[in-house]
Amino acid sequence: MKPLLKFFVIPAGWLLLALAAVAAEAPSGDTPAIRQQLVQTILSSGADQQKLLGGLSETGSKLVGEVLLSWSRGGVYLYPASDGSQVPVLLEDSQDATGKARAIRISDGQFLKDNAGKELRFGDSELTTADTDMRLRSTIRQTLDTLDLSSPDMDTRWSAVTKLGNSQKPMYVPILQARLAKESDATVKRAIQEGVASLQLNDHDPAAQITAIKQLQALNSIGNLQTLQKLAADQKSDPQVAKAARQAVDSIQSHIWWVNFFGTLFRGLSLGSILLVVALGLAITFGLMGVINMAHGEMIAIGAYTSYVVQNLFGTGFAFSINLPFSILGKQLGFGLSLPGLNATGWFYQSYFLFVLPMSFLTAALAGLVLERAVIQFLYRRPLESLLATWGVSLVMQQLFRMVFGANNVQVNSPTWLLGHCSLNDISFGYNRLFVIGFAILIVLGTWLLLTKTPLGLLIRAVMQNRSMASCMGVRTTRVNMMTFAFGSGLAGLAGAFLSQIGNVGPSLGQSYIVDSFMTVVVGGMGSIIGTVYSALGIGISDQVLQQLLGSPVLGKIIVLTCIIFFLQWKPGGLFPVRGRSLD
Amino acid sequence: MNKYLYSFAGLAAGLSLATSAMADDTVKVGILHSLSGTMAISETSLRDVLLYAFDEINTAGGVKVGDKSYKIEPVVVDGASNWPLFAEKAKQLLEEDKVAVTFGCWTSVSRKSVLPVFEKDNGLLFYPVQYEGEELSKNIFYTAEAVNQQATPAVDYLLAQGKKKFYLIGTDYVYPQTTDLILYKYLLLHGVPIENIGGGLRKDADGKVISAGKYVPFGHTDFQQIVAEIKQFAASGDACVINTINGDSNVPFFKEIVAAGLTPDDCPVVSFSLAEDELRSMPTKDLVGELGCWTYFMSLTTPENTSFLKSWYDWLGTETHPGVIKEKRVVDSPMVLSYDGVYLWKQAVEKAGSFDVDKVRAVLESGDISFAGPGGKITIQPNHHATKNVYIGETKANGQFKIVKTFDQVYGEPFMLKDLDAKLAKQ
Repeated sequence: MKPLLKFFVIPAGWLLLALAAVAAEAPSGDTPAIRQQLVQTILSSGADQQKLLGGLSETGSKLVGEVLLSWSRGGVYLYPASDGSQVPVLLEDSQDATGKARAIRISDGQFLKDNAGKELRFGDSELTTADTDMRLRSTIRQTLDTLDLSSPDMDTRWSAVTKLGNSQKPMYVPILQARLAKESDATVKRAIQEGVASLQLNDHDPAAQITAIKQLQALNSIGNLQTLQKLAADQKSDPQVAKAARQAVDSIQSHIWWVNFFGTLFRGLSLGSILLVVALGLAITFGLMGVINMAHGEMIAIGAYTSYVVQNLFGTGFAFSINLPFSILGKQLGFGLSLPGLNATGWFYQSYFLFVLPMSFLTAALAGLVLERAVIQFLYRRPLESLLATWGVSLVMQQLFRMVFGANNVQVNSPTWLLGHCSLNDISFGYNRLFVIGFAILIVLGTWLLLTKTPLGLLIRAVMQNRSMASCMGVRTTRVNMMTFAFGSGLAGLAGAFLSQIGNVGPSLGQSYIVDSFMTVVVGGMGSIIGTVYSALGIGISDQVLQQLLGSPVLGKIIVLTCIIFFLQWKPGGLFPVRGRSLD
Repeated sequence: MNKYLYSFAGLAAGLSLATSAMADDTVKVGILHSLSGTMAISETSLRDVLLYAFDEINTAGGVKVGDKSYKIEPVVVDGASNWPLFAEKAKQLLEEDKVAVTFGCWTSVSRKSVLPVFEKDNGLLFYPVQYEGEELSKNIFYTAEAVNQQATPAVDYLLAQGKKKFYLIGTDYVYPQTTDLILYKYLLLHGVPIENIGGGLRKDADGKVISAGKYVPFGHTDFQQIVAEIKQFAASGDACVINTINGDSNVPFFKEIVAAGLTPDDCPVVSFSLAEDELRSMPTKDLVGELGCWTYFMSLTTPENTSFLKSWYDWLGTETHPGVIKEKRVVDSPMVLSYDGVYLWKQAVEKAGSFDVDKVRAVLESGDISFAGPGGKITIQPNHHATKNVYIGETKANGQFKIVKTFDQVYGEPFMLKDLDAKLAKQ
């Protein structure tokens, strides 16, 4: 098992790799040489034909697959040319009214024409088919099976190998072994070894079986665990074989234990990062400023909807219209907005998410600013009223989302560079999860720098510690309050942008995260950013570990919540209690 | 900024005047769906298609009983996603409005809530949404898919595709729990060994399996751990996932499936609660190739479906009922089964020559009432369920299904558990 350090070093590199992979396109294998090879194969006979077919399977070309398939189904015809030679042709799928179709020459893919340049049409009984016999068809079948092994696309090769490996047909062993010698990709190589060993498990020779078992053990093949278990338990198998199988089963099971261990750790880290990203804004508005902001969840939703709008602006545009539910003087009132889209495609469209991040921060910060000016500034000394007022605001905002975006969830497509995953020793790391971890680190770092290294941060801390004293020293406390609240809301907006990549974007998005956010901040200790970090990671990891141990997502959560209740009884101030004026 | 200035309040008022003017030759029919609350997203579509069916029948002359013809007068009530309220509204429909028949309910719990009311007042309810079976009330006709018209055909299809391992996952409530328990027994019966059924088993004190599969609460969002488990389960390359997750939890579930690199080629997911209507708010591009199983797909090309779709969209363009959304509408199986229900009832009434519940039921139970609906021929069986075609489809990027397999005229069997238990005991 690789050291833990790798978990943190590798992500950035993978992101770059993923970008590179998007840029590179697989070359197409459709060349005249392959067409000539096909024609030769069809026209030859006997042993030559068998040999040529073997050669065709090396090409990995899609065209070969199509032609061979129709050949084995009697869809390849021979057209007697004027010079006496035979021209193999395919008939087009679409027939005219008389049931005749145009013929496509296999040698160049062009339509067959007469001397005057007119396209020839044939009914399927007018031409003789290129005959196949049972032996030939079985070779064609085998060629088709192995054709994908030579495909230029790695994924196609991989799935072809897996398919053959699972086929239980020992006849594929030599084919796979031949391929192994040529294969350059490590993932596919491993799959071939696994496939060969899995096929050899059914061998009648105990020695070969043991070698295969040893190989599977060395490869830590999770997919073959069940077969090995059966082999180990089977009374009829050779005692040596059963022993080797038992060893392999133990070894693979301990491998699975480690995979689960590190996998769970990673998943806990990613869940913790989500909690952190979601709660960080609240750690500022609630933790530092002491405002019980029930509309925090809606700030997150604003960020998520901003991603939706930006995505649409990169695509076909965005428009909405609202009809007010009442009318004046018999006229229905309403308003609407329509923004044209950029109709971007390719990498430019995929990069929309990079624009989403600043936009969602700014939109949510602006909304926070308005909220602070309109409601919260009057309620700084009245926590209960601010709770009720912000809750009311959150309901109003939810209804607004419904009116503008509809009650249904909206679709935010993930950019391709956030889809997919990479695996290391059978542990898969989703790119979006790696991204959220890196993202959480960045915004925590940014927040910390802002609070401790900038003049604004100094003012914020001064005001939060003692508002009247700061005011006496000439700090414009109302302005600082405004800025702090806007910053906290902006962070919530960033969280929303991220949540749009892993979950639903709907009017009630905020509701599902508000409890988690408060929980994280309270456990961490109000007013302490580092406390929020620890509490988010702690909750995230213990949730995933318990889920893994108990096998039930609900039970794990119940236990975590119960533990939190007891913890807060014991330490009401949270992990890192801060003595601050705002809390007194 | 552009301004929308139009009014349709006057039109709507005019319409309600018109309906009350011809009250003497009308029959009241109830629509009992949630038009507000969580279920409104799904159930409003059923209200719409029912209104469409009534308008269609009224335009064609109404329901003919004896030598008189009656126009249908819909009584729409809102169950508000509140199950006890469903029972109250049902009572109101039956005792105050005295409706001849009611079309309604989506969730099983709402149906269970109104069932005693319909039985006490001898009402008639048509229920259109796939459900778990194990129920038969003399006052309810289930045009819905029974388990053997959705879940088991899907499993048959997957078995035929060479799948050997089945992972069961669902939302924690009665429909997924019962369906998965039935599937668990069905799989055992079809020779799938117990270790090839994933998701976990729960047993009671006697060691009898009472629950199979993995369950998450409504609105669950974190599927990392579960998908990691599925990935290990599917490592051997012959596994599939049976998904009975309901509602928008499906989005984070499928996003996690995509992120883990599980493709439909090596581990397909067949979902029982995702139809065309739900796919409208799903990232369908990521779902291409995943499976669905219903008794109707919008992509059917039969003449019945083509003409149905045409008149449905025509109706949407001209109708004036308040609250019907006109943009981006699709049709799915629960909607079509609601629509079928209306015509089956109409036929039964016309044959019985009366709106009387007992007479209509007797005709429906005869097994002679069938209708060539958009999804194919549907026939009411003596056991109140319906024989109909079952289709298996692969999701396409545009949110429609490509039909890959059709099971013709499948008999609806509500009580599978007892039958499976008996067969398993014999083995």
